[in-house]
Amino acid sequence: MSTGTRTPVVAADRPRAGPVAWLTTTDHKKIGVLYCVTAFAYFLIGGALAGAMRAELADTGNQLVGPQSYNTLFTVHGIIMIFLFVAPFGVGLANYLVPLQIGAPDMAFPRLNAMSYWFFAGGGVLVLLSSFATDAGGVATGWYLYPPLSGPRYSPGVGPDLLILGLALVAISTLMSGVNVITTTFLMRAPGMTMWRLPIFTWNVVVTAILGLVAFPPAVAAFVLLLFDRRLGGHAFDPLGGGDPIVYQHLFWFLGHPEVYILILPFFGVITEIIPVFSRKRLFGYTGFVLATLAIGALSTGVWAHHMFTTGVVDNPFFSAMTFTIAVPTGVKFFNWIGTMWGGKITFRVPMLFAVGFLLNFLIGGVTGVMLASAPLDFQLSDSYFLVSHFHYTMMGGSVFGIFAAIYFWWPKAFGYRLSERLGRGVFALMFVGFNMTFWPQFVVGLRGMPRRIVDYAPGLGWETPNLVSSLGVVVLSAGVLVFLLDALTSRRRRTPAGDDPWGGSSLEWATSSPPPEHNFTSLPRIRSDRPAYDLHHRAEAGEAGRPRSEETA
Amino acid sequence: MKVALRYLWAYAAFGLGLGTFYYVLTEEWVGSIALWFLGVMPLIVALWWTRHGPSAAVRASDDPGADPAASAGTSLGSFPTATAWPVFLVLGVFVTGASLVYGLLLLPVGAVMLVWAIVGLARESRG
Repeated sequence: MSTGTRTPVVAADRPRAGPVAWLTTTDHKKIGVLYCVTAFAYFLIGGALAGAMRAELADTGNQLVGPQSYNTLFTVHGIIMIFLFVAPFGVGLANYLVPLQIGAPDMAFPRLNAMSYWFFAGGGVLVLLSSFATDAGGVATGWYLYPPLSGPRYSPGVGPDLLILGLALVAISTLMSGVNVITTTFLMRAPGMTMWRLPIFTWNVVVTAILGLVAFPPAVAAFVLLLFDRRLGGHAFDPLGGGDPIVYQHLFWFLGHPEVYILILPFFGVITEIIPVFSRKRLFGYTGFVLATLAIGALSTGVWAHHMFTTGVVDNPFFSAMTFTIAVPTGVKFFNWIGTMWGGKITFRVPMLFAVGFLLNFLIGGVTGVMLASAPLDFQLSDSYFLVSHFHYTMMGGSVFGIFAAIYFWWPKAFGYRLSERLGRGVFALMFVGFNMTFWPQFVVGLRGMPRRIVDYAPGLGWETPNLVSSLGVVVLSAGVLVFLLDALTSRRRRTPAGDDPWGGSSLEWATSSPPPEHNFTSLPRIRSDRPAYDLHHRAEAGEAGRPRSEETA
Repeated sequence: MKVALRYLWAYAAFGLGLGTFYYVLTEEWVGSIALWFLGVMPLIVALWWTRHGPSAAVRASDDPGADPAASAGTSLGSFPTATAWPVFLVLGVFVTGASLVYGLLLLPVGAVMLVWAIVGLARESRG
């Protein structure tokens, strides 16, 4: 092993511990943890709102909330889960892992990094205020704020204004973190860490960051124009003043659909790190995987109007074809994952369980997405519970299972001690069963014609049983999350030592201590392949030059 | 570095090509402009990088045979100590934004906080 290090950064006087140290930190690891903890707190709030919705829908008749409150519940639930939980959790992981995976001492712009966290946290507070702290009731427009419903005529309260401001802050935060991730990856890699040796997680977050940079500005423009319409008498989206609400839909979905990939790509990266480790094989088709990621990044910007099929003003065949096309690189990734597991010595530790759960759930979400890409079918299923279920199979069954896989996989690296394997298996079982209990019946009830965003339904339509099962599923799912919280809290007391490389990982973060030192590495190993930690820990097997990709076998 | 630069060129070509194809097919302006801008943004970065960026020099990170010992002592610049300015900056933006919603009386307060935070950040970053 070569032990050369680059000159340590000037940060010796960073406060090490205590609340002030955390609140004023510029250390990428602490900012990453702050991002993840804050996002998880938002997840708990968003989950509670979902629980309230499912309690209302468990039976016919109004049990818990009225129609307007229900509208607020699903609006804020969607906003929180998309903009305040899944996407920021990915940013948190990127913050924590990218410098470690490429051998850098920190992110390129640490102060900007801190700023991006505080913009996210502040934006989140505004979003929460928009839902509850308004005298005219919370925002109730649906998460995409379509005018004219979100305009001053139909939503006169301050809820949408606060939501717009909150989303603008979150968007600025995303742009800042995107710039940071891209610059760090392009310019701060360790010697020998060529782009074609980057860990797959890093590749995925780089593409995600670029997607964020191109997709968020149009949406921010739309939000600002909407705010002008609402507060300054503008008519950008008001047909009575010569505006066009369809333009809003274009601008919004130019973010909205890439956002789906902004939400899922980091977790494609997560499970791609996990599957080879627990299959005891190297990743099958590294180059193909990277090219598929790049293809998804590019194609995802050309599919936005499949959300507008039913408006009748977009070219449905074009967007249908583009949407079908994007299934191809996604399918390539599935072959990569299956090919990696094929013939491997698979061990089903908790991160691997969540990774396999991700595959199963996301496959269902993906296949139903291809069904919805067909315009004639979309005309039937648009705005039904089928769509709700499809979306949750990709976002919750995919991203959230990816998040839990990441937590269980990198927790020992971040804190130096393990989570409980036994409790973790329980968490997975409860979440997997609970998730499928919740969302599979929604496919059924959607095909039976139940529209989404309704607070009540008439008896005798065949909707009661699936809705009851779905609501019971939320109880099981919530139990899984509670067991996880218990595990996280008690593991701190147990402090089962993890060691520096508890799983036999292959990317560079496993070559440093757990938790890593202030500047990440006291010495950098020689990087001769895309698996530097593996090469380091199996030097005799790898040889001095490392093992080129083509020579790797199971 | 070449890989990153190639990626930007490819992304630019994709956006411009798809935007043109979309316009020819649909003559619909909003989507076409969005796609063209999708191409123009990476094009600007790629052009700048090609002319001024570090792409010409071979960096140790792009050298597959580079030894970490060879770059020992290479300065990566100075990294900041802890900072509280981002918190104040966000508070400034928060109050300024709230003035649009709750009344312009809040605007001076927000503006002062914002300027104070920006000046503080700038002075701190200059060391």
